[in-house]
Amino acid sequence: MSEWLESAITRAQSINDWLAPKRANALELLSTTKWPTRKTEAWRYTPLRVVERTKAKSIDDAAIRLLPVAIENFSAIELAFVNGKLDESQLTNALPKGLSISLGQNLSDSEKAQALSAFSTTKPDRHLFGLVNDVLAQDVVIITVEAGAEISEPVRISSLLSQGAESHTRVQVSLGEGSRLSVIEDIQAQGESLSTAFVEYNIAAKAHLEHYRFALQTGTNVSIGGSHFSLKDHAKMHSTIVSFGSDLSRLDTDIIHAGEFADAKLNAMHLLDGKELFDLHATVEHAMPNGTTEENVRGIVADRARSVFNGRIHIHRDAQKTLAELNNRNLLMSNTAEINTKPELEIYADDVRCAHGATVAEIDKQALYYLQTRGVSRSKAQVMLNFGFINELIDLMPNAALAEWVRPIIRERFAQMEVK
Amino acid sequence: MTEQIDKALAREYEAGFVSDVESETFEPGLDESVIRRISQMKNEPEWMLEWRLSAFREWLEMEEPDWALVDYPKIDFQAISYYSAPKSMKDKPKSLDEVDPELLRTYEKLGIPLIEQQMLAGVAVDAVFDSVSVVTTFRDKLEEAGVIFCPISEAIQKYPELIKKYIGSVVPKKDNYYAALNCAVFTDGSFVYIPKGTRCPMELSTYFRINEQNTGQFERTLIVADEGSHVSYLEGCTAPQRDENQLHAAVVELVAMDNAEIKYSTVQNWYPGDEDGKGGIYNFVTKRGICHTNAKISWTQVETGSAVTWKYPSCVLKGDNSVGEFYSVALTRGRQQADTGTKMIHLGKNTKSTIISKGISAGKSNNSYRGLVRMNPGADGARNFTQCDSLLIGDKCGAHTFPYVESRNPSAIIEHEATTSKVSDEQMFLCRQRGLDPEKAVSMIVNGFCKEVFKELPMEFAVEAGKLLEISLEGSVG
Amino acid sequence: MSNTETLLSIKELHASVEEKQIIKGLNLEIKPGEVHAIMGPNGAGKSTMGYVLSGRDGYNVESGSVILDGEDLLEMETEDRARAGLFLAFQYPVEIPGVSNLEFLKASVDAQREARGEDAITSADFLKEAKAACKQVNLPVSFLKRGVNEGFSGGEKKRNELMQMLLLKPKLCILDETDSGLDIDALQVVAEGVNSQRSADRSFIVVTHYQRLLDYIKPDFVHVLSEGKIVKSGDASLAHELEAQGYAWLQTAPAEDELEG
Repeated sequence: MSEWLESAITRAQSINDWLAPKRANALELLSTTKWPTRKTEAWRYTPLRVVERTKAKSIDDAAIRLLPVAIENFSAIELAFVNGKLDESQLTNALPKGLSISLGQNLSDSEKAQALSAFSTTKPDRHLFGLVNDVLAQDVVIITVEAGAEISEPVRISSLLSQGAESHTRVQVSLGEGSRLSVIEDIQAQGESLSTAFVEYNIAAKAHLEHYRFALQTGTNVSIGGSHFSLKDHAKMHSTIVSFGSDLSRLDTDIIHAGEFADAKLNAMHLLDGKELFDLHATVEHAMPNGTTEENVRGIVADRARSVFNGRIHIHRDAQKTLAELNNRNLLMSNTAEINTKPELEIYADDVRCAHGATVAEIDKQALYYLQTRGVSRSKAQVMLNFGFINELIDLMPNAALAEWVRPIIRERFAQMEVK
Repeated sequence: MTEQIDKALAREYEAGFVSDVESETFEPGLDESVIRRISQMKNEPEWMLEWRLSAFREWLEMEEPDWALVDYPKIDFQAISYYSAPKSMKDKPKSLDEVDPELLRTYEKLGIPLIEQQMLAGVAVDAVFDSVSVVTTFRDKLEEAGVIFCPISEAIQKYPELIKKYIGSVVPKKDNYYAALNCAVFTDGSFVYIPKGTRCPMELSTYFRINEQNTGQFERTLIVADEGSHVSYLEGCTAPQRDENQLHAAVVELVAMDNAEIKYSTVQNWYPGDEDGKGGIYNFVTKRGICHTNAKISWTQVETGSAVTWKYPSCVLKGDNSVGEFYSVALTRGRQQADTGTKMIHLGKNTKSTIISKGISAGKSNNSYRGLVRMNPGADGARNFTQCDSLLIGDKCGAHTFPYVESRNPSAIIEHEATTSKVSDEQMFLCRQRGLDPEKAVSMIVNGFCKEVFKELPMEFAVEAGKLLEISLEGSVG
Repeated sequence: MSNTETLLSIKELHASVEEKQIIKGLNLEIKPGEVHAIMGPNGAGKSTMGYVLSGRDGYNVESGSVILDGEDLLEMETEDRARAGLFLAFQYPVEIPGVSNLEFLKASVDAQREARGEDAITSADFLKEAKAACKQVNLPVSFLKRGVNEGFSGGEKKRNELMQMLLLKPKLCILDETDSGLDIDALQVVAEGVNSQRSADRSFIVVTHYQRLLDYIKPDFVHVLSEGKIVKSGDASLAHELEAQGYAWLQTAPAEDELEG
């Protein structure tokens, strides 16, 4: 066990609040967890040295004021955590009918009981930092959409960190039957910070979640998080994940088909430069029949950066008639960069259609050179020739304003990456 | 329909008989004295014993791997006997006439006559029975071409320089738990050396037979193809039907020097255990080859036997332009568990690898493909293509794919695809409407699924593999 | 032929798929050498009839009888019905990857010959026959080496079905909408293939939605199938009538039946 984890456990032992039973359970699991090494499958390619060495610490300074980035032509119901504490001054006052957003400790007893029973049920216990978040989460926010409510304005959850801060944020979202909601998770952290940010989504029958997760900061922070989804009968989700790397950026997603005829789409793209690391572990559990999943994960990795992808699709015994596809494409731009990808299928039902594909391709240097000889700048030529496969996923984003906001940011980043 | 198909896959294990041979068998148990005795039985030089002992000491420090998707009770390594040989083999028979007829009958029953006149003219055979090689055929003819094909125990005495140079050079002593154990206790196996520029005049093959109860078989094979040479090697394995599990932990090392080519084919038909998972062989095997410049190693395997299979024939593509291939059919049924695949390590420039894996799962079995493709920084222009297809028969089995893809070179291209399918009702109906009975229909559809792999087997073996699968698929349909 | 009077006799056949009754009292008699066309609107049960006769899993006979050449067809397994001389040319032939056409056909022919107690045909003779059959249906000989229907176009699949029919020499062929998806040239090839196989001891059931095919394969009888039974029978001219009037008039037919009953 590392010193960092020991200190986390010690800190957690002094917390006593409405989540106590869940925290105690997580604490017990944590105390028997081995600190990952290269031999730990879930951390095979992602060393945790930066966590062991971090100087980030909890900063409780009300004077620090951080604001989420403004997005053109886009307004949202804003929910901002600053260094792990919910900044209630930023919370939109008038919420649309059918939507409620509350701090866990402010709930009524019966609401608390309900929130408690849902807590950490969608997020599997195997995620080490999920357990850390269980025990250290400062403010836990509960978002509820009433059955049938269609919330047109998206909810943006921003996790904002100042230099050197440590934060543990936690949100629990439940969509009532037949409801609709769009959620954006956005992490904006300044250097040498450390955050764990976990969100659990319970999507009831026929409900529809549109989900985005942006981690576009780079640099020396440690950013570990998870988005976990449980889908009931005929529920739908569409998720888009856009990530740059950092010293350590790790995301675990879990999609659980807990009802029949559920439909999940996950599109993830990451562009890594410098000595960044990004690690996406995406698990899809088909526990019930007739579900469909489509996953597209695309990465571009330059300089000394490293990308890690683990895409697991697990078809349980009863999940007959499942259709599940995973497609992973990568572009490697330098011989000091690394791509480690592992698409996995684990199938226990016979009447299913499952497939995965993974490719690692090269930048066509000849075509690049050809365009340059015709006067096109190298960066422009690079975008012309290779941006398409990222652009396709941006095109699939259901929210046009977000797509048009993120597109130039991604393109610019790609143009800056060097072919070596 | 599923039930029909599963029944069609049921079969009698035809190699399940026990030969009535009087054997000299060590008491179960493993310590340094056992290793010394093995070394003594084999008249080994001191350096070989030291090599074994150092491997044993490493092994004691190692842990049994647990990452494969297989589940079996903990093996008691002290309950296994590490040496068993027919008494008749004690004084090495000089010729076939001196070999115990019961041993010859055993191989004849398995369809491998050892009397040269009766054999396929193009195949030389090394027959390994428990811990010893019984006979190696066509040695004279091979010697004319300069080819060495003999039991490895003999090679250690006759060609110590070659053995010293190459043994453990591809699979290091402490590569993994079972490889280390094998280094300590291996008893026999085959050694092949093909001299420079030589095309081996015949197919070489080794048939491994486990007969004695409570013994493990730890064979070791080393094939060295010198510059510009070519060899095709076949390997077959069977064991009697018993209620106890038996351990088989082999190591195979291949060295393909510049411009050499080795084709290594396996038809693995160890006893798989009964329907309920009682008995069967634990098959924990390390196979690896190294390719120097322009060399090629091609692994083809048809895996139908064993209770548990843990096996990843691999290629280290060290030399520029070298080529690695892996073609695999793995069929599991009953309670069989297979975790098999390959590793392709691309080190040299313009190296190429192809992986075609076909997994068929039926009954309550689990069948996993596990593979690694690694492009190192020096592997400019390297290419890999991987295709993994699984066929599921019934909803009580599992089919899994765990491919690791690691790239560190921007000019390397990797393509990996995996699909899963089933024998469809439509396909069965079409076949039956044309007059085929369900067994024939299943066997034809499954054979079609495996075709890409079967066509890689050498002629002599393709027939055998076809027959094996035919037997595998035979059975009554109620 | 053991029974020169009747090759196929279907009496009061009722059959269902997934508990839904599709065939509801079908009667049909076919004598050796006759060609019967079955026409009708979509959903009338035309394809179901072929599947029920050939014994496809999931197609359940509830009552009635089917006698082929003196034998009770409904008592037999699918493959035994094929061996008894029943051939179904599929509307949408399925692909069997990796199994070559030649291998598949040889196995089928061998199984059928063995069932009839005939000697196995040698590979050389069979190859000769297969090549000739390819030529007759205008498929390149290379198709024999390709996987069964693997990557074939719609028209190639239909011709492949016909080639199988030529080699298996059945007593009764059911052509299930063999004309669907074919252009006029392909249609002619198929029709010529069928016509070449017409003989005194071979009968055909030609299932089709359109009259067009019947310009090339002249039927002896035309039946209209609607809601699981034959509502009208006639000679070849009935097909033209249907072409002119469509099937709309059938919608009222059941009502008339009820009045008569």
